[in-house]
Amino acid sequence: MNAPAHSALELEIAQLVIDTLNLEDLAAADIPPSQPLFGDGLGLDSVDALELALALQKHYDIRIASDDKDARHHFASVASLAAFVASQRAVCAD
Amino acid sequence: MIAFRVEDWRAWAPGLESTADWQDWARAPHAMPDDAQAQPACGFLPALQRRRLGRLARMTLETAWPLCGEGEQLPFVFGSRHGETPQTLTLLSDIVDGQPLSPTQFGLSVHNAIAGQWSILRGQRGESAAIAGEADTFEHALLEGVLQLAAGAPSALVVVAEELPPPAYAQWIADVPFSYAVALRLGKTDATTSAGSDWRLEQARGDGATPCAWPHALDFVRALLAGENTFQHTWKARRWNWQRIR
Repeated sequence: MNAPAHSALELEIAQLVIDTLNLEDLAAADIPPSQPLFGDGLGLDSVDALELALALQKHYDIRIASDDKDARHHFASVASLAAFVASQRAVCAD
Repeated sequence: MIAFRVEDWRAWAPGLESTADWQDWARAPHAMPDDAQAQPACGFLPALQRRRLGRLARMTLETAWPLCGEGEQLPFVFGSRHGETPQTLTLLSDIVDGQPLSPTQFGLSVHNAIAGQWSILRGQRGESAAIAGEADTFEHALLEGVLQLAAGAPSALVVVAEELPPPAYAQWIADVPFSYAVALRLGKTDATTSAGSDWRLEQARGDGATPCAWPHALDFVRALLAGENTFQHTWKARRWNWQRIR
């Protein structure tokens, strides 16, 4: 399979998704970074989104406000989640 | 007094999966080692649909699944005295530790959650009940199932499932020696199907008899396989007289 290569952070996020949501039979490398997590992609739903937000909070100390207009964009895929985590880390490092 | 046909049944416990396993167990009932991890595969479901099934839900689905035909709608009764105690303890521990609760676990922390999961995964739109009684929850769940037959359903599913509680509950829960699920497909005694066996169940005044050595659902499986025709289950003031009539 010629899936695009994952960055280290993308693999980490993909594993977090798998562990948090109890996705048996899946490995981090099986989730293409750009595949949509919700709807027709991986098939996650709104409860999974809440669960993922909680996991991000616990693992990366990132809080996502419930009225955050960009949340939908951040949660679109493993790649966008990784970019979001990286940007939050950059903010904290400043 | 109620009468019903057991058209078919399935049971699961750690190390007891096939009918042959249960026949061996029925000949010499003993406590099964339960590491609180072993659980049914539920391989009939894609992984994505298994993600929110706890161990008790998996046991329930594994046993009930083959008893309901494709496209068939059956009333469903879920009976469990203690419910999903590991999840309950996790949620309570998170509250004590001041941690946020898992939305998934919180959303499923009701006694009828497993009946709901069955309904969603099998596309069941009919009657569904979740009950919790005492050590004779099995008999009360059967009563509920037979009431569904009396209300017009040709068959009904009754699942009684218990999960080995975490050690924190040891002082309070004494009637779950190991995790188990027993699913029965009930039918009317005058049904045209010839499969299964007919039973009469009558409640009488208890006489302080010794409680059953095994959970009632497991003792029923034992009696069913051993070809026993009469037995009693006594709990407090209630004595349940079982009699095989066919």
